[in-house]
Formats: sequence, C-alpha cells, structure tokens
Amino acid sequence: MTVTIALQLLFSGLSIGAVYALVALAIVIPYKASGVLNFGQGEVVTLGAYIALVFTQWGVDYWLVLLGTLVVSALFGLIFERVAIRPIVRAPEFTIVIATFAVGLIIRGAIRLYWEDNEYSLSSPFNMPPLNLGGVRLNANFIWILVCTAFVSGSSALFFKYTRFGKAMRAVSQNRAAARLMGIVVEHVYMTAWAISTAIGAVAGLLMAPVTGINPEIGNILLKAIVGAVIGGFTSLSGALVGGLVVGVIETFSGVFIGGTFKHIAPFVVLIVVLLVRPYGFFGRAQVRRV
Amino acid sequence: MLVIVLAALAVVPFFLTSYWVYLTNLFLINAIVAVGLNILTGNAGQISLCQSSFMAIGAYTTAVLSARYGLPYWLTLPAAMAVAGGTGALLGYPARRLSDIYLALATFGFLEIFQVVIEEFSDLTGGVRGISIGRPSLFGVTLKSDLSLYCLVLAAAVIMIWVASNLMRSRFGRAFNAVRQSPYAAQALGISIGRVKLITFALSAVFAAVGGSLMAVVVGFIDPLEFNVIASLRQITFIVVGGLGSIAGSVIGALVLTALPELLRGVKEYVGIIYAIILLGFLLFMPGGLITIWAIIRDRIWRKPVKIEGANRAASLD
Repeated sequence: MTVTIALQLLFSGLSIGAVYALVALAIVIPYKASGVLNFGQGEVVTLGAYIALVFTQWGVDYWLVLLGTLVVSALFGLIFERVAIRPIVRAPEFTIVIATFAVGLIIRGAIRLYWEDNEYSLSSPFNMPPLNLGGVRLNANFIWILVCTAFVSGSSALFFKYTRFGKAMRAVSQNRAAARLMGIVVEHVYMTAWAISTAIGAVAGLLMAPVTGINPEIGNILLKAIVGAVIGGFTSLSGALVGGLVVGVIETFSGVFIGGTFKHIAPFVVLIVVLLVRPYGFFGRAQVRRV
Repeated sequence: MLVIVLAALAVVPFFLTSYWVYLTNLFLINAIVAVGLNILTGNAGQISLCQSSFMAIGAYTTAVLSARYGLPYWLTLPAAMAVAGGTGALLGYPARRLSDIYLALATFGFLEIFQVVIEEFSDLTGGVRGISIGRPSLFGVTLKSDLSLYCLVLAAAVIMIWVASNLMRSRFGRAFNAVRQSPYAAQALGISIGRVKLITFALSAVFAAVGGSLMAVVVGFIDPLEFNVIASLRQITFIVVGGLGSIAGSVIGALVLTALPELLRGVKEYVGIIYAIILLGFLLFMPGGLITIWAIIRDRIWRKPVKIEGANRAASLD
C-alpha cells in the first residue's frame, strides 16, 4: 500500500468522522447539562438536511441557508426541550430514553408524510471537481465539513470556557442544586443546551447532504456518532470530537482491509467492547458508585 | 373475569373469518412478547432495545430448523427458546455492569449487529429477501387450518402468561421489583442484583423467542425488517400504553395497539407517526398506562382505606 492511498483513506475517514464528531458533540452537550441522551438526535440531523432543502428550493443563497437552518433548528431544540423533556426530567431513565426515541419517530414520520421516500440532492457552492494535492484527491465538500467541524468545536470550547453562560452551563453540569443557589436559572441552561445541540445536529445534516443526498434514513448515522461519544467518554467535548473522528477512520480502513460486512459491524463491536471495558470511555472520568 | 376472557378467546374465533383469526393470533403473540419485556423493563427496571432481536432469534431458529432440516414444531420451539435464552444470558452477563443509558446503548448496539448478521448470512437466513416457513407439524399432524394454528398460539399464550404471573408472585419475582425500586435496599436484603439482571434478560429473551417462533409460523414469512429498532420500540409502546410492571397491562397494551392499525386502515401512512405520538403522550401524561384507569375506577367503587402504590401495583390487579 502506498502512502498516497493511505493518505486518501485517512482523508475520507476523517471527513466522514467529522460528521460523526459533530453529531457526537450534539449528543454530549445536552447530556452534560441535563443528563439526557437524545436518541432523537439522528432525526434532528435529517430535519436539518430537509430545512436546508426547503430554503434552497426557495432560491436562497447558501450562506443564508446555513443561517436559516441554524435558527430554525435551534428554535426546534427549544420547543423539544420544553414540550417533551422538561415535564419528565425527573422521571426514570427509561421514560426519558423512550421519549426522545418517540420524538425522533414523530419527526421521521412527519418527514415521510410530506416528502415520502424520495431521494433529493442539495446544491452547495462546494460541488466542484476535487482538488489534487500530490496525488491525493480532496473533495471540496469534505474540506468544508472539516473546516466547519473545527470551527464548531473550537467555538463551543471557547463558549464553555470563557462566556458567562458557558460557565453557567458547566456549573449546572457539575452540581445542579449549587448552580441554582448561585442564581443560575437551570431551566434556561437546559433549553440553551438543547438549542445548541439541535443546531449542531442540523448543521451536520446540512453538511453531509450534498455528499450523501437527502432521504428520511440519513439520521441513521446517529448510532455511529453515539459510538464516537462513548469512545470519548460521553462527558467530554474533546473526547466526542476525537471519538467521532476515530469511528470514521476505523470504518473506512476496516471497510478496505477487512471487507464490507465488517465495515458495518466494526463501530458496534467497538461500542460494546468500550462499554464493557471502559464504560466511561477514554476521556471521561469514572463515576465511583456501586450499585 | 379471567374465565370469561378465556372462554371468549376459546369460542369466538370459531365464528370469525380467517383474517380476524389471524389478527387475534398477532394480538396473542404481541401479548407474549410484551409480558416478557415487561418483566425485564417494568419489574426489574432494565432498558432493552433489542427485544426484537430475540424475537428474530426465535423466528429464524424455527424457520431454519423446519425449512432446512425438516424438524417438527414441537422440537423447533424449544430449540428457539433455548437459543434465545442462551443469547439473552450471554448479553445479560456483561449487562449486569451497565445501567440506564449505557444499557440502552449496549442493547441498541446488539440489535444493530444482529441486523447485519441476518442480512449477511443470507445462505442460512435468506438475507434481506427473507425466508418463508411452512405450516407447523405437531406430533405428525400438520396444523393446516387457521383454527388449529390458533389453538396452538392460544395455548402458548395462556401457558406463558400463567408462568409469568406465577413467577411474579414468587420470591424470585418480588426480587425483580426490589431491584428496580431500590438496588441498594435489595442488595442489603441479600438479593444478588447481577443474578437478577442476568435471569431477567434470559427470561424475557425466552418470551420474545416464543413470540418470534409463533410469528414465523403464523405469518409464514420473515425478513430482517420486522426485527429492527422500530419493532423494539413498538413492543415498548405495548407496555408503556398498557402499564409498566403489570401483566394485565401488557396484554391490554398489546390488544389496543394490535387493533389500532386496523382502525386506521384508511390512513395507513399515518400509523407510524400515530404510534409515536401515542407513546410520547402516555409517557408525558399517563406514565402508569391504561391499567391506572382501572385502578381509579376500582378505587371509586370499592373505596380503600389505604392507597396502594408502586410495589403492589402488579399484585393489586389480581
């Protein structure tokens, strides 16, 4: 195997992984804030792609499509949290897990009713011939995905580290009661976390749509993003980022070297092994609590 | 009351068309799976998103053994139960250490792996094209008519529900509830939590396998799509709508939600979304399920000095 092929595979693995990483971030942020794992996040990704499709069909410029998708999906996140999550936030874990699944199914059902199972494609300014860099072909869409992922993860890291609201969110994730006593409105933190998360998820959908096309099933990448988040330890943003990228690379390389079947199984084998050996991932902290 | 229901189930199908017999079969199969899932989720408090995989194990074991090796049904059904019970124990063994979302994730991962396995080993399973199964034969007699098949399903359902209700009243069954309500207290009382988790996983897998095996012979055709995560969520909907931790609730949930698609036949494309809305609605507004309506009515009629909740919910239905 030549270096060129290895680099080519690495590039496409990282690009796919970048989408997983974005969705993994979108899973980890509300989980850190409110302890809720959103199994409906995959459908949020699908929804993002369809929102972008609607805006594009209206003939809006790409950058306005991006902005519009962000705003609409963030609003959706606010409503999602307020309507479906807040009333049951104290209920058993089972109730919350299944409720997020139900919301996902409702989104998927609604999309199916309106657009049916048709395949759509999304135009983007990056649909151009691939760049050639020393024999490695770089698809402009993939480069754009990587740039966006770097931007999103960088800006969210800065947001959590330096802004007042970001600090409030970290405080809530550490100790809800103490944060409330310090005058933080915990409910606002929850809603914001969900809005940020659905916006990131929707952007992931918008970014992958020009590459994969749009259909009601594209949200199935959620599982691979979850694998990334688990590798990253579920409570670490940088862990989610690295985990997502790792899943993308594993998937691509195992597809080439071991075969197509294993490509589909590999991420889940990794998931189960990580859950059994290090349930808190490679970046998370172990919760010392015996049950 | 139970006697009336049983008598009705035994007599009425003789006057129904074969389509309605088929629907009743589906209802009973769903009830078996729901009862099994409810022991795991409602009583022992473990999340499982891979119940349909265990159904698939039951269905495919039956299909492969009877179609390829020509084994009679009275051998394939126990084989299906054994394979699924073994797999359930295998999955339950590592799952002892996991709880809540991590358990949800592990079972979700298992389901996805199993889907791929069914699709890839197409020599044995027929892959995405599915596999068809002939009518079952019991002790040399082939169950050709719909009614004889119905008798088989009814007998299986009665036995499985009878086993479940007796089990839940045993020392062992009460330990399941204890593990859900307070793992610490249960452990302090000498209940091995790991063992309870392991056994409930294997047990619910056996119930699902019986359902899956019966489904294979009733429908006559299976493909991997019937055992995806949506199917698992449909079974969860049965127990949420009926009532978590209640055998009667599982049966009611299965009844209502098997009948629902029939009522909505004119607007078929809405069935999926209506299922999801019902699921979310019950989680938000009636977490106890339909069975709580009965409890409210009963309390109105026979006022009780002390309100019984939680642990005795299942027992108070008898």
